[in-house]
Amino acid sequence: MQVIVQKNKLVESVQDVMKAVSSRTTIPILTGIKIVATEEGISLTGSDSDISIESFIPAEENGTIQAEIIEPGSIVLQARFFSDIVRKLPQDKVEMKVENHFLTIIRSGSAEFNLHGLDAEEYPRLPEIEEQNVFKIPSDLLKTLIRQTVFAVSVSETRPILTGVNWRLENGELTCIATDSHRLALRKAKVETNISEAHNVVIPGKSLNELNKILDENDDLVEIVITENQVLFKTKNILFFSRLLDGNYPDTSRLIPMESKTDIVLDAKDFLQAIDRASLLAREGRNNVVKLTTFPNGKVEILSNSPEIGKVVEEIHAKNVQGEDLKISFSAKYMIDALKAVEGSEIRISFTGAMRPFLIRVPEDETVLQLILPVRTY
Amino acid sequence: MKTWEELEKLQPKVLKIIQNSFKKNRLAHAYLFQGKKGTGKKDAAFLTAKSYFCEHLEKNYKPCGQCSNCKRVESGNHPDLHFIEPDGLSIKKEQIEALQKEFAKTGVESNRKLYIISGCDQMTVNAANSLLKFLEEPTEGTMAILITNQVHRVLPTILSRCQILTFQPIPPKMIQQELEKKGTPSHIAALVSQVTNNIEEAFSLSRDDWFAEARTKVIKLYEVLDSRPDHALLFIHNHWVPFFADKEQMEMGLDFLLFLYKDLLSIQIGNEDDVVYLDILPMLKQQGLKLGQRTVLHQIVSILNAKKRLNFNVNPQLLMEDLVLTLQEG
Repeated sequence: MQVIVQKNKLVESVQDVMKAVSSRTTIPILTGIKIVATEEGISLTGSDSDISIESFIPAEENGTIQAEIIEPGSIVLQARFFSDIVRKLPQDKVEMKVENHFLTIIRSGSAEFNLHGLDAEEYPRLPEIEEQNVFKIPSDLLKTLIRQTVFAVSVSETRPILTGVNWRLENGELTCIATDSHRLALRKAKVETNISEAHNVVIPGKSLNELNKILDENDDLVEIVITENQVLFKTKNILFFSRLLDGNYPDTSRLIPMESKTDIVLDAKDFLQAIDRASLLAREGRNNVVKLTTFPNGKVEILSNSPEIGKVVEEIHAKNVQGEDLKISFSAKYMIDALKAVEGSEIRISFTGAMRPFLIRVPEDETVLQLILPVRTY
Repeated sequence: MKTWEELEKLQPKVLKIIQNSFKKNRLAHAYLFQGKKGTGKKDAAFLTAKSYFCEHLEKNYKPCGQCSNCKRVESGNHPDLHFIEPDGLSIKKEQIEALQKEFAKTGVESNRKLYIISGCDQMTVNAANSLLKFLEEPTEGTMAILITNQVHRVLPTILSRCQILTFQPIPPKMIQQELEKKGTPSHIAALVSQVTNNIEEAFSLSRDDWFAEARTKVIKLYEVLDSRPDHALLFIHNHWVPFFADKEQMEMGLDFLLFLYKDLLSIQIGNEDDVVYLDILPMLKQQGLKLGQRTVLHQIVSILNAKKRLNFNVNPQLLMEDLVLTLQEG
């Protein structure tokens, strides 16, 4: 392999793929970055076996030459050293040449590094992409989708499948569900697709958090491909692969109550602040519990009592209260998370009794739904 | 790493079982390879892994050794093969938890996953219990190979969930003859053949100066114990502890001592062919006649006890002093 490449492009790409490289790995080859040079350009890959990031430097973009491929080939170089070397090279152009026994010469200006590489054959192979099984989502919508669900995944490993977000694609609609069995977050979105078959996969929450960091806040389309073992997110020059969680996601459709006994509509910001204040004292208590009471005159009382510390009561005006009066207790943290995720100036909360899960929705918006299980108090 | 053919010569039975399982596609979800040190358990485990992942199996069971999967198993770079061995003294719960996390996910390249746990007798109780859950509910395409040389120390609940394959030890006499053919003095060869079951390892040990010197030290200790008992503690302090510096060396030293007392017993029951310390046979004979069988047995037990305690991080000097005092009591 022999290439000459623009330094700034290379630095950018290396930074992208370094996000996937972990120093703690049991597989020695994954401490390296794979570099493959073909006629079209140079691709760099980093991986910690859970997620893999591939960054592509096209040989030519917008009429400017970014990489000159003299001889195609591939090599794996130690990520730790390679990323530092590339960053500190003196000139704008970098020449890389692989010689016998994977010895790689990196030359820029008068600086020359000889770096021992590894055989690229040893590197894990990423799944082949079949272009026909693609669906597309704008980048900013995908980020919202992730933000509105991923916080609800389980942090405990007792049921590993719940540490992921369930993605279901059916009839051009994508449904994302996350639950830790105390609360549930659901978000639906229309996607552009030509796939007729239904997909049902579980993507690890950690991978989605990483992906969220990489995606830009714009409306460029992200192509998504689901394969047997991995899911691929493809932006302009970056491919993001993640492994899936193995197993069947529990059926959550029956958890969501269809009818309600009490419905209240509140100003989202006021309510969030009131809960936040109430949780100041509740946070010290064991489960961060606040109590909500509705009154027929349209008032809602939020109360939190931690006997050792003190008590807080706050009354807010609901825009609308319908149905039976109700007293219910729930975790303030879950409520705050849910309110932050729904994004709306108004929210509607539908209760079906003090011991039943309740729903938080934005009126007139069916795509977002948050469900919280109440806490039993006496 | 040994090839299939090389290993087949040493462990024909085990390899036949594995071979048939592959041919008939009836692999168990968990195997336990048990046998003495050096009988090729780890080699067999990695060979099985190669067969499991290989792209061009020969005759449906033999790994080709050429494809990228075989090569990556060999170099430890296969992403769907997980190898765990004791971290320090034992396999920790975190290691098993990491494995569990790994297995909650789909395979990196295929749906096949395999894990090998070496020294599975050294799992902490917590680790073993974590592992149990996983052995109980194997997921599709997941296989486990556990390796141990002390099968009696593996939890019975784990044993009952594995198919156990026993690796036959190579008779020590055979190793001894093999070494003598290569020109190793017979008294060294006899001792080496007791220590390991692996011919290559035996050969390199027999050329190790440390090994020969350790042997002399052990004989010295025995002589001191016998002729100048009051000097024994001094000997331990000046010669034994500085020489057998780390735990493995210490363990080997105790093993050597054990073989010496075993020789005494062999002489007493008229089994002189089995004597390991051939060069001091006359002295041993004399001793053997002097002591009672019961005494020697008692001494052997105390050495075994010392070996056990070594694993519990006892101060080596105190351990040896205690042992020497017990040995003197007779």
